[in-house]
Amino acid sequence: MNHKKELRIAYWLMIISFIIGVISYAACSKQSHENPLRIMYKTSAGNVLFDHKTHASDTGYGVVCADCHHHPEDDSGLTNCNSCHTKDDKNTNLPESCLDCHDAGDIEGTEMKNSTDAFHDQCIACHKESGRGPVECLQCHVM
Amino acid sequence: MIKQKKLIVSHAPFIHNGSKISIKNYHIMLAALPALLAGIYYYGIQAVGVIGLSISFSVFWELAFNLIAKSEKRIGDGSSAVIGVVFAMMLPATAPWWIILIGTFVAIIIGREIFGGIGSNPFNPAVLGIAIIALSWKEYFDFNQALINFDMDFNMFYPLAALKSFGASSISSISVFDLMLGKQAGAIGAVFGIGIIIGGLYLIAKGIIRWEICFSFIAGIFLTSMTFAMFAPTTYAGPFFHLFTGYTLLGIFFLSPEDSSSPVNKMPMILYGLGCGILTILIRNIGVYADGILYAILIMNIINPLIDKIKPKAFGKV
Repeated sequence: MNHKKELRIAYWLMIISFIIGVISYAACSKQSHENPLRIMYKTSAGNVLFDHKTHASDTGYGVVCADCHHHPEDDSGLTNCNSCHTKDDKNTNLPESCLDCHDAGDIEGTEMKNSTDAFHDQCIACHKESGRGPVECLQCHVM
Repeated sequence: MIKQKKLIVSHAPFIHNGSKISIKNYHIMLAALPALLAGIYYYGIQAVGVIGLSISFSVFWELAFNLIAKSEKRIGDGSSAVIGVVFAMMLPATAPWWIILIGTFVAIIIGREIFGGIGSNPFNPAVLGIAIIALSWKEYFDFNQALINFDMDFNMFYPLAALKSFGASSISSISVFDLMLGKQAGAIGAVFGIGIIIGGLYLIAKGIIRWEICFSFIAGIFLTSMTFAMFAPTTYAGPFFHLFTGYTLLGIFFLSPEDSSSPVNKMPMILYGLGCGILTILIRNIGVYADGILYAILIMNIINPLIDKIKPKAFGKV
C-alpha cells in the first residue's frame, strides 16, 4: 500500500467516522426515563447515589410511591422531591412551583422543610422503621 | 576499455520485510474491536457517537497540525486513528462532544505533535489526553453519575468507587466472571475484560506489544494487591478484582506498551511494567483516586528514559 493510498484511507476514515459520530449524537438526545433509575444527590458532605429503581420495584424493596412522593395526596401525579423541598436553608419563601396548584393565600404561612432535612428525615426514618438500610452519615454520603 | 556493470552500494537497510507503521496500527485497531463492540452492545448508539467523533477529531488534529506546520501529511500511518480509538475506549458513553474535541487536541497536539510527532512523545498521548480532561471536568468521569440513566440487567455501579467508599465488603458479592463479561459501569472499551485480553494476546502474538511489559504489569498488580489484602482483607480488594475493574486491562495491553513511551530493553521493560502495576494499586488503595492507572502510567512514562538505561544490551562483540 503506497503513501497516497494510505492518505486516502485516512481522509475517508476521518470523514466517515465524523458523519457517524454526528448522526449518533443527533439520534440520541440525552437518555432519560419516565421513572428515574438512579439519582445522584449532590451534597457538600459527599454525594449520595440513590437507587430509585431498586427501592420502587416489586423485585427490589417494594416501597410504595406515595410513601416518599406524599404530595399531592390524591395521587394525581408524582412530584419531584426537589420541586417543593429546595436546597436553600435561608429561603423562607415557598418555592414558586407551589403556585402551580395552590393560590398564594391558601399556602401562606406554610412551613416547608429544606431538601437536606426532608431527605434525612424520610430516608433515615424509613430505614430505621424497616430495620434495613443505612442510617449513619458515611453509609450514604460516600461518592 | 573494459565494459563492466557499475553497482551502486547504498546504505542499509538492504532488505525490507514489508512491515509498515500503518499495518501495525490497523492491527491495534483490530485488537480493540472486541472490547469496542461489547461497549457498543452495552451502551448502544451513544458509544458509537463517542468512538466516531474520537477517531475523526484525532485524525483532524494531526492533519491540522501538518497543514499549519507545513510538514508532511502523516495521517495515513493510522497512529492518530489509534489514539482516537484508545481515547474513546476510556470515555463514558455519555461524554459530550466538546470533551472529545478538547481531549483529542491535548492527546494529539500537546501529547505528541509538539514533541516531534510519532515516536517522539514522552507520554502515551491518549493517557495524557484523558488524564487532563479527567482532572479538568471530573464530573464526566464519575461513571456512577455519567451512566445514571442506563438500565442494565445487572447491578449498575462503578466497582472501584464502591471499593473506595465502602471497603472490600461492598464488592464481596461481585463475581469476577461478571466483571470479565463487562457487567459493571465503566468506560466504553474498558468493561469487557475478555475482549481486551483477546485483543492484547493478539497484539503480543503479532509482536506489536511486548509481553514483558504486560506480564510484569499484571505481576505488579498481583503482588501489591495481595500484600494489601493480606494485612487488611476487609478494607482492600484482592488481585482479580483490581485486574478486571477500571482501566486495568486497557492499561496493561493498550496503554502501557505504547512504543515511544515505554522501554525497549528487556530488564527495563519488566521494571516498567512492575512499576505501573505497583503504582496503580498504591494510588487505588492509599491515594484519593478510585482508579490510579492513568497517573501510574504517566509517572512510569516520565522515568522510562532513565530505567531504559539499566543493563542495555550492547550490539556486537568487542
